[in-house]
Amino acid sequence: MPDNQGLSHLSDHFLIVAVVLYSLAVIAFAADFAFGRRSPVVAPAQADVPDRVPAGIAAGAGAPPASTLAAGTVAASTLAGGTGPGSPAESGGSRPRTPAAPGRLVRIALLFTTAGLALHVAGVITRGLAVHRVPWGDMYEFVISVSCVAVLFFLGLMIKYRPYHLGLFFMAPIVIIMGLAQTVIYTPAGPLVPALNSYWLAIHVTAMTLASGTFMVGAVLAVVYLFAERHTRRVAAGLSTRYGEVFRLLPSAERLDQIAYRTVVFAFPIWTFGIMAGAIWADQAWGRYWGWDPTETWAFITWVVYACFLHARVTAGWRGRRAAYIQLLGFGCLLFNLLGVSLFITGLHSYAGLS
Amino acid sequence: MTGLRVPPGAQKAAGPDDGTPPGPPAQPPRNPSPFGLVGWARWGWRQLTSMRTALVLLFLLAVASVPGSLLPQQGINPSAVQQYYVSHPALAPWLARLSLFNVFAAPWFAAIYLLLFLSLAGCVIPRSVRLARSARTPPPPAPRNLARLPQSARHQSTLEPAAALDAAAGVLRHRKFRMRTGDGWVSAEKGYRRELGNLVFHLALLALLCSVALGGLFGYKANRLLVSGTSFANTVTALDEFHPGRLVSPSDLQPFSMTLNRFTASYVTSGPSRGQPLTFNAYVSYSAQPGGAIRHDNLRVNHPINVDGVRVFIIGHGYAPVFRVTDGTGKVVFNQPVPFISVGTSGLMSTGVVKVPDAHPDQLGFAGVFLPTAVDVNGQLQSAFPAPLNPRVSLVSYKGNLGMNGGAPQSVYTLNSAGLTQLPVAPRPLAAGQSIKLPGGAGTLTFTGYRQWISLAITYDPGQFPALIAGVAALAGLLLSFFVRRRRVFVRAYPGPDGQTVVDVGGLARSDPAGGFDEEFAGLAGALETASRGPSTTGPASTAGPASTAEPRTTDSPSLTTTSEGKSD
Repeated sequence: MPDNQGLSHLSDHFLIVAVVLYSLAVIAFAADFAFGRRSPVVAPAQADVPDRVPAGIAAGAGAPPASTLAAGTVAASTLAGGTGPGSPAESGGSRPRTPAAPGRLVRIALLFTTAGLALHVAGVITRGLAVHRVPWGDMYEFVISVSCVAVLFFLGLMIKYRPYHLGLFFMAPIVIIMGLAQTVIYTPAGPLVPALNSYWLAIHVTAMTLASGTFMVGAVLAVVYLFAERHTRRVAAGLSTRYGEVFRLLPSAERLDQIAYRTVVFAFPIWTFGIMAGAIWADQAWGRYWGWDPTETWAFITWVVYACFLHARVTAGWRGRRAAYIQLLGFGCLLFNLLGVSLFITGLHSYAGLS
Repeated sequence: MTGLRVPPGAQKAAGPDDGTPPGPPAQPPRNPSPFGLVGWARWGWRQLTSMRTALVLLFLLAVASVPGSLLPQQGINPSAVQQYYVSHPALAPWLARLSLFNVFAAPWFAAIYLLLFLSLAGCVIPRSVRLARSARTPPPPAPRNLARLPQSARHQSTLEPAAALDAAAGVLRHRKFRMRTGDGWVSAEKGYRRELGNLVFHLALLALLCSVALGGLFGYKANRLLVSGTSFANTVTALDEFHPGRLVSPSDLQPFSMTLNRFTASYVTSGPSRGQPLTFNAYVSYSAQPGGAIRHDNLRVNHPINVDGVRVFIIGHGYAPVFRVTDGTGKVVFNQPVPFISVGTSGLMSTGVVKVPDAHPDQLGFAGVFLPTAVDVNGQLQSAFPAPLNPRVSLVSYKGNLGMNGGAPQSVYTLNSAGLTQLPVAPRPLAAGQSIKLPGGAGTLTFTGYRQWISLAITYDPGQFPALIAGVAALAGLLLSFFVRRRRVFVRAYPGPDGQTVVDVGGLARSDPAGGFDEEFAGLAGALETASRGPSTTGPASTAGPASTAEPRTTDSPSLTTTSEGKSD
């Protein structure tokens, strides 16, 4: 079964256009920070609340439609009252602080992101069709797929929690990663070595891809949380805050921490499953389910560090900043496994396809 | 340990060395005198089983694994360890002393995970007991002021308070809450499976460790290189490498035998990944015991052969050129394939040595390379492709003493050149059928052809299936503990000022890692409100009042005033 080079090129084109669209989304998100002065006039913002809200509220099942109205009014009051630096952001810090309705620039940015994601998905699928298998057999494909999952998860967060102004912090790394993938680690479509020729590739690597993409979102949230938390402390201490305007638009530190935690709670079982699926595959391919191969070791280290994070979250004195640092450490281990171990340490998992 | 609701700082009595700020100030002054042996033991046990200690041990486990991935490991790549000794002669012995070439079998590594699992057991087992006990006790009475709970809602009902409570209890019962009723209140709890999942997860980890230990005690691993057309039996002497578990004796080996009839490999023939392997097929025949029925199978990567619970994997392949050597006396003293080992290039260039100890008057030795597809690149011989399209052998010849009688074991892949002198033979790559005539009548070597070999991994691990069960249980427990939340819902109903019944609903998630209790509560509050409307005939009349004016809607409208304080513990 020869590889379809035409499809492979099509995939490249899709992905390049996706990067361009993501870049435009980043520009729009950034422009919203810079120029998107949220006018105190509520009318236009409220007008598009009803078509946004149901998605977020839908899970609330029995809530009568009136709650939509309530969300609208909360949003409106946040908009109207949000003039004093930092006041509404730090006051409640709890759940019902419904984020402001998206401004025009944010809507444009979300549009670009969605269009980019569509092409991103198309690029991944055509790559898979080109090589007649799941498109995550080498490092380039893996990175492309992980970033695809990250964008997908990010859009899911946007729908569920509506932290619109986090968009910049999500999409900027995505653009950088995708750009690097297309330039530095690009690998032409090719067949797999016999060791990878197993249906476990679809199971094990899919789980790892899903978990990695989700952990990536969690890491971005942790970074933003650390800044927001610092800002909150400075405000509490009465120190000057140059970026009050920025943090007022972002979810509160407590909220960020909560979303980050839920992200990890979502990804951790998938990662666990991925390791287990990998162990079963290793057992079939190499005759042992665990052999401390460098990649296995680092997957284990990543797992342990994220387990530390989960435990730290419920341990007095370890919540907040420390837990966030642990989470970032976990993501650092994940990245090291993906980049450092694949490229610099020889092991059974040396499939990066780079030389 | 996961999701320990009580912060350990509060749970364990603050010990003398425990400088935790949350330690209650009401602790009696620390006086070392009551600390007898039992006191110290109890204190130590509490320290060990505290979450903080478990966290530190978890961290240590992660940190301790790092050198195992960065330094070469004896159990994974022994030759890389030897290489490390050569390149770092001063450092290597020190690293070896610290077991850093064998991290995952090191005593300090074992100390970390054993302490961790002890800490885990000390935490989890008492909690299992507590869970069993609390599952039999009814939920606590409803607090007085439900509006103070993280989640609360209020609505009005035309039903009498008792009937409204009955309706609420019906809804909660329907949703499988455990209930307790009192004077004017209903208290309900749900989600014990979360704690159960948490316990299952941690106990499954213990079981996983036991499974690994089981494999380590009763399992074994072995390697064997098998040249096409030859056989071997699964006995210790026939194996190239044998790593038995602690409680394995040579007689425990399953007595199968196996023959490699034919081996084929296919490779990518064009494009950027030219030379990359595509398929390996080893056609083998085997029998489970001597004289048993012979079965044929195609051994492939990812498709091991299972004989009596022992599994045989193909983990490598290469070429074994066949040589015939005639010594100085004219006798054929050597005629067999010699496995050459790939040097790691894509063209499968392989090196090897031929030792002819039976040659007279001098022993003969040859060292060289096998090139499956030999090409001349600027006077340098290389292999351009892994398949045998143009097989050539290039050898350097020696005569003298091979040093094989000294008693010390010798690698079959290297020549001990101490007692050997190189013979002046013009290096010339041999095609199949070509010979080297050694000077001085020392003999003749003929390259008669080649065969292929495969290397097999033979493993037996009785802990494998228990490990799988433990892993699945751990995952199931993890999912339960993450996605089931333990929550309490309280309902109070009492007569309001306007003759209607006021129904207060309060909710509290004791652990809600994945989030979503607020949404569940909103839905539940809505269902309770619907249920308390009573028979539909009275519904419209009674609700007409509040709905007709705008004011009660904003102040009173029950399901909209769902509040939350974010913190759910």
